[in-house]
Amino acid sequence: MFPSPHRRPLGRLALGVLAATATIAALAGCGSAGNADDGTTEITLSMQNPDVESADPATWAIVEAFEEANPDISVTVSGEAVSEHLQKLSIAAQSDTLPDVFWVYKSTAEEMQQAGKLLDLAPVLDELELTDSFPESTVANFSAGDVIYGVPYQGLLTGLWVNEKILADNGLDVPVTFDDLVNVAETLSAKGITTISNGANQSSFSVWSFLVDLDRFGYEEKVDGILDGSEQYVNDDFLRLYEHIAELRDAGAFSSNVSTQTYQQAVDQFTSGNAAMLDAGVWASSAIQDSQIAADTGFWIGPQFDDGVGEQHIVMNVASAPFAVSATVAADEQKLEAVKKFLSFYYSDEAQQIIVDNGQPPVTTYEPVVDAQAQSALKAALDASTAEGVTSPQSQPDLLVPTPVANAMYDSIYGVIQNQLTPEQALELVQKALDAEQ
Amino acid sequence: MSAHLIDAAIEPASEFALAEPPAQPPRRRRGRSVALFAGAAAYLVTFLIVLPILWIVLLSFQPSGNILSNPFSFDQLTIDNYVRAGTALPLLQMYGNTILIALVSVTVGTAISFMAAFALTRMIFRRRGTQSSLRFYLLAGLAVPVYILLFPVYRLDLALGIFGTYAALILPYVAVSIPFNTLLLTGFLREFPGEIEEAAIIDGAGLWRLCTSVVLPLMRPVIATIVIFNIVYVFNEFPFASILINDPDMVTVSLAVSRFQGQYTVDYGGMMAAATLVLLPQLVIYAIFQRHVIAGMTVGAVKG
Amino acid sequence: MIWVSSRWKILLMVAPALIVFTAFVIYPVLYSLGFSFTKFQGFGAPEWIGLDNYVALAADPFFWQSLQNTIVILVVSLVVLIPASFALALLLRRRVTGGGAMRALVFGPAIIAPILVGLIWVFILDPKIGLLNRVLGFFGFAPVQWIGGDTLTPYSVALVFIWSSIGFAMTIFYAGLQLLPADVMEASALDGATGWQQLRHITVPMMRETFAIVTILMITNVFKIFELVYMLTGGGPVHRSETLVSYMYFVTFTNQQYGYGMALAVIITILGAVVSVGYLALARGRKQPA
Repeated sequence: MFPSPHRRPLGRLALGVLAATATIAALAGCGSAGNADDGTTEITLSMQNPDVESADPATWAIVEAFEEANPDISVTVSGEAVSEHLQKLSIAAQSDTLPDVFWVYKSTAEEMQQAGKLLDLAPVLDELELTDSFPESTVANFSAGDVIYGVPYQGLLTGLWVNEKILADNGLDVPVTFDDLVNVAETLSAKGITTISNGANQSSFSVWSFLVDLDRFGYEEKVDGILDGSEQYVNDDFLRLYEHIAELRDAGAFSSNVSTQTYQQAVDQFTSGNAAMLDAGVWASSAIQDSQIAADTGFWIGPQFDDGVGEQHIVMNVASAPFAVSATVAADEQKLEAVKKFLSFYYSDEAQQIIVDNGQPPVTTYEPVVDAQAQSALKAALDASTAEGVTSPQSQPDLLVPTPVANAMYDSIYGVIQNQLTPEQALELVQKALDAEQ
Repeated sequence: MSAHLIDAAIEPASEFALAEPPAQPPRRRRGRSVALFAGAAAYLVTFLIVLPILWIVLLSFQPSGNILSNPFSFDQLTIDNYVRAGTALPLLQMYGNTILIALVSVTVGTAISFMAAFALTRMIFRRRGTQSSLRFYLLAGLAVPVYILLFPVYRLDLALGIFGTYAALILPYVAVSIPFNTLLLTGFLREFPGEIEEAAIIDGAGLWRLCTSVVLPLMRPVIATIVIFNIVYVFNEFPFASILINDPDMVTVSLAVSRFQGQYTVDYGGMMAAATLVLLPQLVIYAIFQRHVIAGMTVGAVKG
Repeated sequence: MIWVSSRWKILLMVAPALIVFTAFVIYPVLYSLGFSFTKFQGFGAPEWIGLDNYVALAADPFFWQSLQNTIVILVVSLVVLIPASFALALLLRRRVTGGGAMRALVFGPAIIAPILVGLIWVFILDPKIGLLNRVLGFFGFAPVQWIGGDTLTPYSVALVFIWSSIGFAMTIFYAGLQLLPADVMEASALDGATGWQQLRHITVPMMRETFAIVTILMITNVFKIFELVYMLTGGGPVHRSETLVSYMYFVTFTNQQYGYGMALAVIITILGAVVSVGYLALARGRKQPA
């Protein structure tokens, strides 16, 4: 009744199940590979790019140079996109399986530090005599009391890249004041050209130039009060700034698809000559250098406001997200030594020049060699940041507040740009996030 | 092709018998035009559905810069993206890992789900209520978004000492497939008449033989469907893979595409090429397995 | 049939699935449920705050917006997807040249990882660079904000979801059609039923379970939509196009409000389950009088 042809495949299936179960057991048994005991020490470095070699050539080159100089240490570089990276770190921190050295946002590092997950780097920096190699604000930025929980990874030098040819073709100069900027937007918008290229899709953080503007409306003096509740984010000074953003929007400064465009698309829009300015930072210099508009590109620190608060001649030139070191490293003497050697190398002049060669500013006080021709974009940014009379805030505004508040700040700015929020609503959005943190 | 369309016109059941002889000529013509229309509609719908896929394949041959600024130009097609994907991705290793994980998890998942589904639909429980509550218990898993599981599963893998092994990924994959498998298997088992099995039982077949020799062959279309979906799931699963894989030697193909997304850079060309490379093997797998979906038809016909 | 009731045999059949499922799905859900009553940033010790997260959720306009979007997507998807995929299964069942290849191709979208599905459709729906508006522009129509505008995004997401799921639903219907007993079909044909009559009175009623399967899968899948929205708009502008899961992802991982995110996840799970069970109850109710 039941012919054998029907039976065989199922007999095979049954065997398959058995085999598969056995395989699971075997696979579970083989465990993670331990350190190869050939005298080399392994340290793990976890980054915010899945393909570090192509996306972050500076770090990759430093690691290669470091391994060459220290054949007894191997650095295992891994990485994933920012959101997965943070996810993974947060889960790993809770299970004490953090990588040895890793890139992390400052606010996350602070929380990790409070939870005792990070190595205090103050004694390490002292021992390596590195403390003085950094600008003062950098160390202050990553300190909690006497504890230093992070060291600078790369510089955060932000502003507006300007395609001077587009401006000149339309009879415009590089703006200085906010009114100049509105004028540029109106002129270009009439001709269908985007003035400021940016994109909110998956990159709501891409509002760097407006974060500098917050500092041009007294953010630095207000932030402590805002955080302890004695002052409000909803205040007349910030309101003026947000109204200016609305003015820019109404002048047609932004791309019509700013909501669906990603930051990468915004860069592309600029480098392909379809926008007059790009809201970004020095990390974009390589992409600009590789494009046809390299020769026409300048760097503008941003507008001066005649109704602003405090110093208007400022540029954002601070340390970006830091490297942190897992507290578990201290338990392994050899590993700790290797990490120290790595840090010492990273902040050596040799490594800092590697950073510069890859289109990033140095994070130490090292004076780099920049090729005016082959690195014209980087040079323009560095020159703008060191120009006579220009100062920098201590930190970028979003880095001083808890993560949900920072995200609300981005949303508030893009909300006005996308005409989703009135300036008042935008301020209240941030205030609500602040209140929730109390 | 036209000959086949005429075949198709003869095929529909409505052609076999006609209520009244006078109606015959118009009916036949109508049947033929319906079939022609249906055939044309099938081609059209298929074309529309496939269009966006052709689109990625096409984009994968565009220079990266063109994809955003000028995606409709066809004069600079290049294989650069594939070269980049080939160098940036350990493709063979990725496929190897994925196939291993898929084989084990799909085999185990399908087998244990089938056993449970058989018990829940065909075996007689002392209390009926237990049977249906168990079914609902398993089905409840369908409503669970994967992000709720990530952190606890990570901890569980650590606690079980399997973190860093393939089992760390296989076990959650098996678990997550159970609700889906159960839904399909119990649903179809309930829809499917039990007479053949009753005959087998009267013939004295034991549980094992009943399952493997009688029910399983009849369920082949469903099993094939489940296998296809589970394989696709493993090939595309991203959240678990990104959290539970630490060792660069263990990466799966589902991580391939994200390789091209950096903090401030996205390589759209590389992404498209990687996507195509992940997609094609799956289409082949589907083409192979869907024959079994159809094979079920013949089994049913023989029994009928 | 006494042997079937044997307790240990039942246990042997059910236990493996039950154990794996409980350990890797139910236990984690309960574990996360616990976190939903805490304030937890991802590090340090979670702080017990009772129902505060749920109360905050009720007052969170972005949550209600994401719920509303999810419901729009759900309704549009079900209304279009179920009949369309069933019709497609019937169509592809006919003997047409290249039918097998067509079935594979129609299934194609279901194979593509959702993140890529989103990416492909950005190039079609984007108001500025997208294919659709270029075509409209060619015919002299004004561009439409398919995504990223104020209202259309959920409908566009539904469209993309339908596209990516139609092959999936079709395959299940197709398998269901294969399981129909051939004798019943032939008998009805001999009885003189026309194609339409046969479909309405025999095929569809006999495939009740298949319809239930597809509907439940689609309901629960809609409640899990994340990557599509993430790629198309990133949830923007300002969370306007967020779905439940994309907003949960934002809260949990971007904002790092782990406890709050888990509260949202619990609500999503409950909603998905309630809608599915509600549908089942409805379907049963209709079945009874028939």
